Amino acid sequence: METGTKKPYQVISRKAFLDLMGRLMKEKRVMGPRGRPDQPGFHYFDWVDDPEALTMDYTTTTLPPKKAFFPPTETLLTFTLGNPPKVSESWLEDPFVLVGVHPCDLSAIEALDRAYAYPPPDRRWQHNRKRATIIGVDCLPDSYCFCESLGISQARRPCDLFLTPIRRGYFVEIYSPSGEQMLNQGECSEAGPRDFRDVLDWHQKKRGRFTTRLDANADELANILEMGDFSEIWEDIASRCYSCGSCNTTCPACFCFNMEDDFDWTLNSGVRRRTWDSCQLVDFAIVAGEHNFRGERRDRVRHRWHRKFLYLYRKFGRSYCTGCGRCSRACTADINIADETNRIISAFRKGTGNA
Amino acid sequence: MPEIKSAEQKPPYYPSYFPDLARIVRIKQEVMDAVIELEMAGGRPLGHMPGQFVQVSMFGYGEIPISVCSPPGRAERFKLCVRPVGRVSKALHEAAEGDWVGIRGPFGRGFPVEIMEGRDILLAAGGIGLAPLRSLVQYLRDHREAYGRIILVYGARNPSLILFKEDVDTWCRDPSMEMYVTVDEADESWTGRTGVLTGPIKEEIEISPVQTMAAVVGPPVMYRFVAAELLAKGMSKRKIYFSLERHFKCGIGKCGHCQLNGIYVCQDGPVFRYSDLVGLSEAVEAWAPE
Repeated sequence: METGTKKPYQVISRKAFLDLMGRLMKEKRVMGPRGRPDQPGFHYFDWVDDPEALTMDYTTTTLPPKKAFFPPTETLLTFTLGNPPKVSESWLEDPFVLVGVHPCDLSAIEALDRAYAYPPPDRRWQHNRKRATIIGVDCLPDSYCFCESLGISQARRPCDLFLTPIRRGYFVEIYSPSGEQMLNQGECSEAGPRDFRDVLDWHQKKRGRFTTRLDANADELANILEMGDFSEIWEDIASRCYSCGSCNTTCPACFCFNMEDDFDWTLNSGVRRRTWDSCQLVDFAIVAGEHNFRGERRDRVRHRWHRKFLYLYRKFGRSYCTGCGRCSRACTADINIADETNRIISAFRKGTGNA
Repeated sequence: MPEIKSAEQKPPYYPSYFPDLARIVRIKQEVMDAVIELEMAGGRPLGHMPGQFVQVSMFGYGEIPISVCSPPGRAERFKLCVRPVGRVSKALHEAAEGDWVGIRGPFGRGFPVEIMEGRDILLAAGGIGLAPLRSLVQYLRDHREAYGRIILVYGARNPSLILFKEDVDTWCRDPSMEMYVTVDEADESWTGRTGVLTGPIKEEIEISPVQTMAAVVGPPVMYRFVAAELLAKGMSKRKIYFSLERHFKCGIGKCGHCQLNGIYVCQDGPVFRYSDLVGLSEAVEAWAPE
């Protein structure tokens, strides 16, 4: 911190945190994790107006918090036909707070910041990002998580405040002036030696909990995919895959989309929307005349792995998998991204996956 | 030698996917296709180069990418050749003069007209591939002195499906152009060549491989065979340019629909050197699915 009234490390009690959230909720909208009423034990990001509804100690959510900036369906413009037609752009302006974001999902937001900032930048993503203040929270992994293997388990960017659960409540790291400003509205105190020890204990506990690991780091993995020929593995994954697209829709770092128009009931006006899309769906790469450039399921499976770990790694300098494990949890055919990736790594090392 | 310049005014990039309006000035019905002449609202030039494409909106139906088939700099209007194959193109095909559409673009990298200067140009078009190539042909003709030989090989399915019939006739009469038109299926009226367009390339055309650059546009299946003939003539893969077709949704390298291995066809192409495509799994293989 360059300037500020507070030291960068603060402690806030759980009650004071909820009070702070309550105060924020009166000022602006707050999106955070809460229990799914339809599926007890599962969580989702939603607009919350009662601080008690926030569940800060969740494992993961079904959909990633990228939906706060890049909604599953987003209105781009509205039109009314005429001579000439009236077309107006549709933007959301209200500022909001996104609270309870895990390191993997923070890292995914950073991944999309990079991808959408590549010239020419996507102004819609950037606009929505500017509307938000982000409060991250640390977590403990479950059996699907492997963020540590990708170097993401300690990710903090791009948050304004980051919380780690400790005995006195939350240890708060301040990452931006607007985060500090927000924290100033709550009751907090400076962190002491005991709090720092608590944080280290938490990190140690977190590290000890990972049961899923990748057998290569992101850089090696990109090289392996580039040099090897894994047609048999793609074929095998494809034989189980249903091409349902669940992996893409639950991925925090996927950012492909479709655009479509819709008339309203007047048949004279309507909207253009952009919606999430999935490269695993059969018609994703189809062009006029029914030429399909990835008509085979194995090619689509291969494309997904390459895009996550090779193409975008080369283009943007980081993996586009964060190890959150959502795709493995959501897969209708129980295809586990970590297990399959390890199979690829081991096939390459044994020489069976070599071109 | 006339001055050849890229579009002076940098075209807008449309980073929020919001289109500008353009009015349909004229529609000319070709056999299956409609050639639509458009004028941007406010009369600004489109600022495109041959081989670039625009995203065309029919509000309520959607948006599709279409190559511009007119050259830059002739007038502040531009033409699109529309074949009614999908929802949006059918709606566009049925539009009337005076109707409005949305336009984003131009996008992509077109043909390297500056690098082509002083060289012989071999153009090969299959079917509707003549539409994007027409922009280049007319550009070359507009700057005739800057280029060497202009050889155009055009293959259509049958004589009635010859696109831009008037242009093709004009070009055939032009002594400064070498024209090779062939049809797959001849009818009684046809006295010209029959067979696929690799025929004339192989048997009739003599080129200096060092002096020549090739521009090829056609259905996916065509590229591999044309490439084989050009390589057999001693041409380098670096001098053969292909224009690839993908279903661009955004046009600015974001939506992922056109991704071909590590590249985005909309931004890095749609015009590529053959040498840059060799080895990309979804470029060459998919062209000839045997």
